[in-house]
Amino acid sequence: MISTDPAERRALIGEYVLGLLEQEQAAEVAELIERDPQAAAMALQWQQHFLELSDRLEPSTPSPGLWPRLQHTLNLGQRTSAWQAWWSSLSAWRLTSAALAMALLIALLPMPWQSDTPPASYTAVLQPPGEAAAPGWVVHIDAAGTLLLEPLREDQVAADRSVQFWTLVDPQDGPRSLGLVEPGERLTLTAEQIGAVRAGQLFELTLEPSGGSPLNRPTGEVLYIGRAVMAALD
Amino acid sequence: MSDPMFDYDRTLEACAGHDERAFQALYRQESAQMLGLAISLLGQRDAAEDCLHDAFVQIWRNAGRFQRSLGSGRAWIYSILRYRALNQLRQRGRTVALADDIAEHLIDDSPSAAQQHEQQSDKRHLRACLQKLERPRRHPVLLAFYRGLTHEQIAERLTTPLGTIKGRIRSGLRALQECLQR
Repeated sequence: MISTDPAERRALIGEYVLGLLEQEQAAEVAELIERDPQAAAMALQWQQHFLELSDRLEPSTPSPGLWPRLQHTLNLGQRTSAWQAWWSSLSAWRLTSAALAMALLIALLPMPWQSDTPPASYTAVLQPPGEAAAPGWVVHIDAAGTLLLEPLREDQVAADRSVQFWTLVDPQDGPRSLGLVEPGERLTLTAEQIGAVRAGQLFELTLEPSGGSPLNRPTGEVLYIGRAVMAALD
Repeated sequence: MSDPMFDYDRTLEACAGHDERAFQALYRQESAQMLGLAISLLGQRDAAEDCLHDAFVQIWRNAGRFQRSLGSGRAWIYSILRYRALNQLRQRGRTVALADDIAEHLIDDSPSAAQQHEQQSDKRHLRACLQKLERPRRHPVLLAFYRGLTHEQIAERLTTPLGTIKGRIRSGLRALQECLQR
């Protein structure tokens, strides 16, 4: 029997989520979750808390064959050959950590266009989500607030798609578009266009329909992502 | 990294409407982190990839059952992955050879600078609450989470009576929920 005491019940559901229960009791809890939305919500709350532990684990990029296998199982992807080609080229873009170190070094060195600006500035290295050593773009914001987005590689993007640049300061406010980006080309934005920048601010490039996202938030795959860090330049 | 710009709830709802592009976006966004957890639970990369495959099959087929009123989309996705992994463990009698050093490394609670930053910026609580638990109650919970061990296996591993382990986990979870609700 499952206790009706809320705290006992919540703890029991926590044990179920962890996978500790014997088969018989697990089946009982599974059945409760199936019929009682409150119990289902409790299970998701535990799961939500435990995400914090999952996120401590090192991500591991699945082998390139897994997505096609999934498409095959589900009979998907009849019209996505361009995307697949893009995906496999992405998998091929493994840079070494030496390249990452170089990218950081480049990012932190005083740049010619920054030679006459005061020292305080920000940098963000944008990488594919889940890939620790494959930087694609670097964002520099000088002390005057001018942003320079600089490519480290030239990606191929299908003719009917656009790459869009976003930033997020506070999740409450939601992301803000900083406009479209041409792969392989630098983009400069004025302080008025980007607003105040702070450490930890998120920058992201997503693949959107041609002309950009139809909504006021990203709708496509995240190509690159990174957070701003303070770069103290002398 | 987890991405606060990615809208898991909306993406799952789009999957429920058979939007393949949304499904691809979800795979692209989350598969590497999910595979990390599957490897931790199952101990072998091949088995973990099979588990990830099965989890995404379930996600696509059952996306229509996701209800944002019950909880977050990301939690829902990880429920599916976790249950698949636990099923695999049960089927093979959970005979995973444990890489003890890895378990101990994860279970050791010295947060890195990045994690401290993450905790401050996202106001996350679980790890702070876990750190308040003394090790005899914290350790079994972490073994269950990262290794999918049963009560019995934990008791054996920690050479502690089964009843004691059950009691510690139950009281550990109750202390956690109290701390988390604050």
